[in-house]
Amino acid sequence: MTEINLETIKPIPQNVDKSTNFTTPIKRILNESDIEKWLNSETFDEIFQFIQNLSVSVKGKDNTYPKPSNETIDSVLALLDEVDKVIENNPIKVDEHISRFGKIEFKDFYKELESKTSEIIKLHIPQVSQFDNDPCIELSQYFIESWGNAQRIDYGSGHELNFIAFLLILFKLDILQEQDYDLIVLRIFTNYMAIMRKLQKIYWLEPAGSHGVWGLDDYHFLPFLFGASQLSTHKHLKPKSIHDEDLVEMYYKKYMYFECIHFINSVKSSKLRWNSPMLDDISVVKTWSKVNEGMIKMYKVEVLSKLPIIQHFFFGEVLKAPEGLSNKLDTTVKHIHTNWGDCCGIKIPSAIGAAEINKFKPMPFD
Amino acid sequence: MELDQDVPMEDAVELEPTLDEDPLSTTPSADYDSDVIFMNNDSANQQGMAKPTSLPQLSGSNISQLDQWIEHLSKCQPLSEESVKSLCKMAVDVLQFEENVQPVNVPVTICGDVHGQFHDLMELFKIGGPCPDTNYLFMGDYVDRGYYSVETVSYLVCMKVRYPNRITILRGNHESRQITQVYGFYDECLRKYGTSNVWKMFTDLFDYFPITALVDNKIFCLHGGLSPMIETIDQVRELNRIQEVPHEGPMCDLLWSDPDDRGGWGISPRGAGFTFGQDISEQFNHTNGLSLIARAHQLVMEGYSWSHQESVVTIFSAPNYCYRCGNQAAIMEVDEEHNRQFLQYDPSVRPGEPTVTRKTPDYFL
Repeated sequence: MTEINLETIKPIPQNVDKSTNFTTPIKRILNESDIEKWLNSETFDEIFQFIQNLSVSVKGKDNTYPKPSNETIDSVLALLDEVDKVIENNPIKVDEHISRFGKIEFKDFYKELESKTSEIIKLHIPQVSQFDNDPCIELSQYFIESWGNAQRIDYGSGHELNFIAFLLILFKLDILQEQDYDLIVLRIFTNYMAIMRKLQKIYWLEPAGSHGVWGLDDYHFLPFLFGASQLSTHKHLKPKSIHDEDLVEMYYKKYMYFECIHFINSVKSSKLRWNSPMLDDISVVKTWSKVNEGMIKMYKVEVLSKLPIIQHFFFGEVLKAPEGLSNKLDTTVKHIHTNWGDCCGIKIPSAIGAAEINKFKPMPFD
Repeated sequence: MELDQDVPMEDAVELEPTLDEDPLSTTPSADYDSDVIFMNNDSANQQGMAKPTSLPQLSGSNISQLDQWIEHLSKCQPLSEESVKSLCKMAVDVLQFEENVQPVNVPVTICGDVHGQFHDLMELFKIGGPCPDTNYLFMGDYVDRGYYSVETVSYLVCMKVRYPNRITILRGNHESRQITQVYGFYDECLRKYGTSNVWKMFTDLFDYFPITALVDNKIFCLHGGLSPMIETIDQVRELNRIQEVPHEGPMCDLLWSDPDDRGGWGISPRGAGFTFGQDISEQFNHTNGLSLIARAHQLVMEGYSWSHQESVVTIFSAPNYCYRCGNQAAIMEVDEEHNRQFLQYDPSVRPGEPTVTRKTPDYFL
């Protein structure tokens, strides 16, 4: 199992075979015993290590860190620009006094983006064509999942994890490189954040699976994790500085952690002590590196180990499912249709089926 | 205030009593609030219900204990773990005798989700009038997301035990072990009590909450909505509700479903319950002789929202939900003539500082 290391970047294999038979990723984690296997899997180790590597790479670097971009980084940024355009294509049309929360135009945004995801990935990241088979079938799945859920009009840390998975696949396909780590965070991830803020504000996305005031944040986790690393060598800004509105105003464009605080202050009434007691609690920690370390530990437990999140995670040929999972059922299929009379007329085909379905039904959303 | 005076609780039964137990009927009681409003004999007989005959009477010491807890809670201070334990035992004694379709008389004020917004709940009682002077029907979701779930649910349960005929508290989809572990109540109990004991006591108690109510045989009240497996209200009466909210089936649907613009039954994006169209609502109301389905479960910006040509109303009573939604809250008054009036309100002013002291989460130690 990976140990937490705030100092060094550890290598992640970039050895996806040219002849790999890429497949449509599917959900595979169904219960707590699968979670155990997941936590001991290579894919888990790689994702967790990738996040730590990204974190280490931005230690002491703010968003304006003067490192020149490169072609690959620019190509991913161009891909993100396409998402921005799709937002512009789908403004809010319906009477804004409509009573329900969550703007239904998000569904149009999502549908349009979904329809062109493969195409825009190929357009901007032509390196994908160096493989015998098309890896876009896998990349697209994680990319489209990165922006939230169209049916529920919501977004949460599970969606954020999909964006990391998308980047990790680009890395494993040898398209993004180790020397790009800091730029992946400072250019690509911050850009992703900017688009997410737009989506959250324009379409009034609901927080998915939010702990309400008792969670870290309604939507995000990683900008706090990366953000604390950015600040870990800062001479003056301390974790308690988040309570100083002038400092937040001054630094929110430079540091991801402050951007998150700024966003909360701008969308929520009352003070952090009321609307975000956990961030308030964390603000008494003495150093940012301690905050960074805590965030990594917490991410592992509260995101990567949580069934309600990981049961929605997809596995394919690059990010492989753990060995020995209890069941190969794709959870998008409720049951395998039988040949008896009117299988689907009978809600549950058998007592065993009933027990299985109940057991594997994912945690509902509210 | 000192809470844990040694009030003898020997008359409290275990947390899981059997329904045929009659533990308290012989307890002498003087000042039990005996102004029975829900035992509408006509409606009860029409529905052919097994009438609860053993609603426990409160002893004088229990009343003073409850009044003390209510006073303490109304200052937004949580009860001690021991007090919660006693309270939950008393509440089981009351709630186990309520029905799956709890009859309620008019006038009554019907309320939606509260989600731990304690100060807004106090505002609700200011707007709607104090309990027990005003009769209240709450349609679930007392806990999760808000800062004060523990104080909110403790307060409402105290009021229920103190004035059982004046206030009805239904179960929402958040009154569940599984959901509260994801949406905040579990974290809050751990944060405020240091252990999950209080969470366990309340989630065990939630199993006893009634799942629907019927106001004067005309307004069917529940947290979520209809179920394709339920055509008549009598079918709700046949359910065994004393259990964790199941993943599917009629009881799950009643707590999870939503009305929709599309007709018929639809798959719910929530992954539990169904969506139901106007045709379904109209048929259900017709079959059961109802004028209205009142439900909660969805944030609506004005605090209430009609759907299905006024055969369904959604009521949401948590203003500026999660400190960010900017929504108004509402409650619905129904008077003796069945006139309905919506009272809308905005967030109450919060006191300066939370009562909970800062504590570094373990990950950051």
